[in-house]
Amino acid sequence: MPRPRRPAARAILLLAATLALAGCADGPARETPVTLVLKYARILGPDDPFPPLLREFEAAHPGVRVRGEALPWSSDEQHQFYVINLEGRSPGFDVMMLDVIWVPEFARAGWLLDLTPHLAADELAPFFPSTVEAATYARRIWALPWNMNVGLLYYRRDLLAKYALAPPETWDELVRQVGVIRAGERDATLDGYLFQGKQYEGMVVNVLEVFWAGGTRLLAEDGALFPEPERAAEALAFLRGLIERGVSPPWTTAADEELSRRAFGDGHAIFLRNWPYALDLFEAADSPVRGRVDIAPLPRRAGGARGAGSTGGAHLGVSRGSRHPELAVMLARFLTSERAEKRMALAALSPTRTALYDDPDLVRRRPALPRIRALMLAGRPRPVTPYYLLLSATLQPEFSAALAGVKPARRAIADGRARLDHFLGALR
Amino acid sequence: MTARPRADRRLGLALLAPTLAALGVLTVFPGVWVLWLSLQHRVPIFGVARFAGLDNYAFLAVDPRFWSAALTTALFTVASVALELALGLGVALALARQRRGRRLALSLLLLAWAMPAVVTAKLFEWLYHPAAGLINVALGGRALNWLGDPRLALAAVVLADVWRAMPFVALLCYARLLAIPAELYEAAQVDGAGRLATLGRITLPLLARILLLALLFRTLAALRAFDIMFVLTGGGPAGATETLTVYAYRSLFQMLQLGFGAALGVVVFVLVMAVAWAYLRLGRAAAPAG
Amino acid sequence: MRRAGPALADALVLLALAAYAVPFFWQLLTSLKPEAELLRLPPLLPSRLTLEHYRVVLAQSLIPQALWNSLGIAALTTLLALALGLPAAYALARLAVPGTRALLLVIVASTAFPQIATVSPLYLLLRALALRDTWTGLVLVHASFALPLTIWLLAGFIREIPIETDEAAAVDGAGWLAAVRWVLLPLLAPGLASAALLTFLFSWNEFLFAYTFTASEASRTIPVALALFPGVYEVPWGDIAAASMLASLPPVLIVVGLQRFLVSGLLAGAVKD
Repeated sequence: MPRPRRPAARAILLLAATLALAGCADGPARETPVTLVLKYARILGPDDPFPPLLREFEAAHPGVRVRGEALPWSSDEQHQFYVINLEGRSPGFDVMMLDVIWVPEFARAGWLLDLTPHLAADELAPFFPSTVEAATYARRIWALPWNMNVGLLYYRRDLLAKYALAPPETWDELVRQVGVIRAGERDATLDGYLFQGKQYEGMVVNVLEVFWAGGTRLLAEDGALFPEPERAAEALAFLRGLIERGVSPPWTTAADEELSRRAFGDGHAIFLRNWPYALDLFEAADSPVRGRVDIAPLPRRAGGARGAGSTGGAHLGVSRGSRHPELAVMLARFLTSERAEKRMALAALSPTRTALYDDPDLVRRRPALPRIRALMLAGRPRPVTPYYLLLSATLQPEFSAALAGVKPARRAIADGRARLDHFLGALR
Repeated sequence: MTARPRADRRLGLALLAPTLAALGVLTVFPGVWVLWLSLQHRVPIFGVARFAGLDNYAFLAVDPRFWSAALTTALFTVASVALELALGLGVALALARQRRGRRLALSLLLLAWAMPAVVTAKLFEWLYHPAAGLINVALGGRALNWLGDPRLALAAVVLADVWRAMPFVALLCYARLLAIPAELYEAAQVDGAGRLATLGRITLPLLARILLLALLFRTLAALRAFDIMFVLTGGGPAGATETLTVYAYRSLFQMLQLGFGAALGVVVFVLVMAVAWAYLRLGRAAAPAG
Repeated sequence: MRRAGPALADALVLLALAAYAVPFFWQLLTSLKPEAELLRLPPLLPSRLTLEHYRVVLAQSLIPQALWNSLGIAALTTLLALALGLPAAYALARLAVPGTRALLLVIVASTAFPQIATVSPLYLLLRALALRDTWTGLVLVHASFALPLTIWLLAGFIREIPIETDEAAAVDGAGWLAAVRWVLLPLLAPGLASAALLTFLFSWNEFLFAYTFTASEASRTIPVALALFPGVYEVPWGDIAAASMLASLPPVLIVVGLQRFLVSGLLAGAVKD
C-alpha cells in the first residue's frame, strides 16, 4: 500500500500556489497612496479633456491618485456593466458617470451615496432645474449634474434658404419641405429626415419625442402606462410612415447617433435629429457642410407642443461602497465645478451650469450655445422613475418592430403594455 | 491489473474526487439551482425574491417574443447546420485529394475556426458595413443594409456562423476520408465505377457516421449559440436575430429578471438535452445496421 | 497535361481556401489602413500602411490589460483542468472504478449544459463568494466547463497506450506512481499537449461567462474588451481591427505552429466514439 506521496503532494501545493497567485494578481490597489477610480466614457484621440483635469485634482490633493477607467460606449452596455458590478460587493470604483436615466434606479437599489449632507444649501442653484430634478429621488440628491444633452433638429440652412423656407414648426410642414426640396434638387442621394431607429435606448428617445410632439406620453403622473394608447400608436405609426414614404431612408432602422450624423455631415440629408455634440463636428474645418447647418426646436404635431426635445446627459455619482467617500465627493464636486465644466465645454460637451452658456470664451468657440440653452430649458426629461430601464428594455423590441414594419404600431403598443404589466406586476 | 482491486478502487475514487467535487459545485449544482430560480420572481435591484410557481412558464407559453425567439433559434439552427455540413463535406472531399500544401490548406481553413467568436463578429460587422463593407462593394456597390434590415439580418448572422464553424465539420470529414483504405477506391475503379458512383456508393456511406456526429455537435452548438448574434446585432433589428439564448441573457442582465431569465435558460437546457437524447436513440437504432 | 492536372487542382484548392480566409485578411488590412481611407471604398488597397491603430490600441486603450488577463486566465485554466482531469482520466481508463460508464456518461452529458442556463446560478454563487471580477472566479468556471472534454480526451489517449506498458514498468520494480511518471506521461505527452491547447483556446475565446463575471480591467478578458471597445459616439473601425488582430494572436499561432496537436485533439474528441 505505501505509495510515494511526495509527487502528489507537490502537485497539490503547486496548484494551490498558482490559485493563490491568481488571487493576488488582481488584488486591490495598495492603500497608500489613495487611489480613486473614476468610470466614464472615454473619448479616444487627442481631444480628451479629462486627463489634464484629473492631474489637476491630484496636484491639489497630494497623496491621491485618480485613475480614469473607460466605460463601454453604448448606454445599454454601460448600464449592464454597472448593474453586474454594483450588484456584487465592493465594485472597485468610487466615482461613476451615470446616464441621467439611471439615477433613480441606482438610488433605489442603494448603490449611490446620498450626497445631500455633503452639499451646501444652494450649491445646485447654478444648474439646470431639470438636471437637478433628475438627480433627486425620495427628496434626496444622489448625483451631480455633469454634462447635458437635448434632442434638437438640425437643418441645412442653405437648402431651406434656396427655397425660401423657414425651419418647420410642424411635422407635416417638415414632410412637405422635404418634398419641395427634393423635387427641386433632383438629387437621388439626398435623404429627407434622419433619425435614430436602431434597437437601442436612443431609439426610445426618438419615439418619446414624437409622443410628446403629439401631446401624449409614456407614463402618466399616477404611474399609468400609455394613458392615451391611440395617440401613442398614431405617433409611432407616423414615424414608421416616414420610412415607408421615403422621407427617411430604409437604413434608419440600423442608425444610431453616429451613422445618422455622418450621413448628414456628408451633405446627404436635409434634416437630422441629434444631440448638440454634432454641431461642432459639422463646423469642423474639413466638414463638407461647414457653415451650412443650423439648429431649431423639434417640430410638433397636431395637439402637441413644439421643441419638446428629450433632455439627456450624464451625472456623476459616488458609489456607496467607496472606501474614500469624502475624497470621492470632492472629486465629483471638482469635476462639476465651473472651471472643469468650462474645460469640458471647450471639448464639445455641453455644460450643466446655465451661466456658462453666456461665457464669452465659450460663446466665441460655439456661437450656438445661448440657443442650445433655450432648447434645454424647453426640453423634457424621460420618465424619472427607477423602472425606466425596465420600461425601455421591454419597449425597445416593440418600437423597433413597429419602425421596421414587422408589426403594426397599435399592436406594438398593446404588446408592450401587456409585457410591462406582467413585469411590473412581478415587482410588486 | 486485477491484482489489487480494492486498493485500485480506493485510489481511483481518490483521483476522481477533486474532479467530481469541481463538477458538482460548478456544473451540476447550478444546473439544479436554475430550475429553482425559474420558479421564482427574482429581481435583485428591487429586492424582490419570492416563490412564483409556474408563473414564469405560464407567461412564456403565451409570450409572442418567446415564440418568435424559438422560431429564430430553429431557423438559425437548421440553416447554419445544413450549410456547414454541405460545405464542410465538399471542402473535405477537395482536401482529401490534395497532394501538396495540406498544412497550408489546413492553416487557412482553421484560421476561421480558431479565433474568438467576438472577433468573427467584429470581422463581419465591418464586412457588412453599408458603405464601406467589402460585401456590398463586392456586390457592385449596392448599399444593402445587412444588419439593419430584419429580412437580411438573420442571413447575415447565419453566414458569419457558417464561416466560423464549417472548418470543424470539414476537419472531421477529412480525417475520416483519410482513413478509408485506398483499396476500396481501386476496386471500384477496376469495376469501372465513375466519380459520382464512387461518391455515392463508397464514400458517403462510410462517412455517414461521422456526418451524424458532426450533425449532433453542430446542432447542439447552434442551439446554444450566443456570442455571434449578441455582438453582431444584439438580437435586433426588431428581434430578427434574437434567439432564445439572447432573449434569456437580456432578461437576466438587462431587465434583471433573474427568475424569468432562468426559466428561459431551462427551456434551452431541455431543448439541448432532448436533441442529444434523440441523437443517442437514433445512433443506437442505427448501430445494428451500421 | 495529365501531370499538370493534379498540381493545378491543388493550387486551385489553396486559392479557394485563401479566399475563404479573406474576412481575416481584410481585417488585417483594415488594421493597417490610415484612418482617412477607411470609409472610402473603392480603392480597396490603401495608399500606405500605418501602425497608428495599433499604437492607439496599445497605448490608449485597455486592450493590453485585457490581453494579460486572458493570458493568465487561460494558462491557469489549462493548468487546473489538466491537474484535475489527468488523475480522473487515469482513474477512469485504468482503474476499475465502479460505475465508470455511468460516470463517463454524466461527464459527457455535462458538456451539453448550455451556458445560458448555468450563468444565472453561477452569477449568484460567485457573488456570494465575492469572486466576481477576479481571476480565480473565472478560472474556476472555465476549468469546470473544460474539464469534461479534457477527461474525455485524456481517457481516450490513455486507453490507446497498451496496459502492458504500465505492467512492464511495474515488473521492472518501479512503483505505480513512478510508472505513471516515467513511462505513461512521456507517451501521453502529445495527448496532453492536445488537451492543453484545446483548453487554452476555449478559455481564450470564451465570452458569455467572461462578459458576465468580469467587470473591470482587473479581470476583463480580451473577447469582452473587444466587444465593449470604447468610443463616445464614433465607431473606430481601424482600432477595432487592430484589437481584433491582437486578440487573434494566440489562436493564429496555435493554428499555424501547433497544428498537429490541435488537429489530433479535435479529432480525438470527436472520432473516438
